[in-house]
Amino acid sequence: MAPTLVTNSIRQLRFAHGEMTQQALGERVGVTRQTINAIEAGKYSPSLEVAFRMAEVFGVRVDEVFHYGKASR
Amino acid sequence: MSFREKTAWVTLLAIVGVSLLYWFHVPTLFDPHPGTWVLHAMAVSLLAYLLIECVAWIVLRVKYPQDARTPKDERERLIDLKAIRVAYYVFTACALGGMFVTLHVVGAHIVGLGMVIFMAFVLSQIVKHAARIVYHRRGA
Repeated sequence: MAPTLVTNSIRQLRFAHGEMTQQALGERVGVTRQTINAIEAGKYSPSLEVAFRMAEVFGVRVDEVFHYGKASR
Repeated sequence: MSFREKTAWVTLLAIVGVSLLYWFHVPTLFDPHPGTWVLHAMAVSLLAYLLIECVAWIVLRVKYPQDARTPKDERERLIDLKAIRVAYYVFTACALGGMFVTLHVVGAHIVGLGMVIFMAFVLSQIVKHAARIVYHRRGA
């Protein structure tokens, strides 16, 4: 599988929001903990809908959660 | 390990276990006079597989009720689709290759041909669930 150029700041945002667990984020977004883990690790690029829901949970814009072409981890 | 990966393991082990028993006891692929017991063995194997699968599902649902109620998310659906695609190629290759070998090289009978296609189906299911496990391990 080709490595994705989409990086993210989910880990930082989780810790900035009261050390939110992957399980808690997954429940609020509507995906499993394993899916949050895969997204956070850059192994899976989520759909736009999930990306927007994540941004909504953190109260930020989508481009503050996901970045294209630059390393954030 | 996610709930879906656990179910993939259960299904994979059930299929491998039952099909191994079946193929060890039905070595008559090219027997010129197969009995109806071959079909009976196939039916018994199918029933045994369904029984194992049902029991395992009940155990998993009782042990992980929350996970069992959670619907599949987009990544899990994608994993299923990717695994089905791999299984499709395996089934097509095995069925066509097996049919060619059975009819043109070995010259087996119609029951043998049916068993080859059944074997291709079983193999494709094994590959499908193995692929599900691999994709779950890799993340997607």
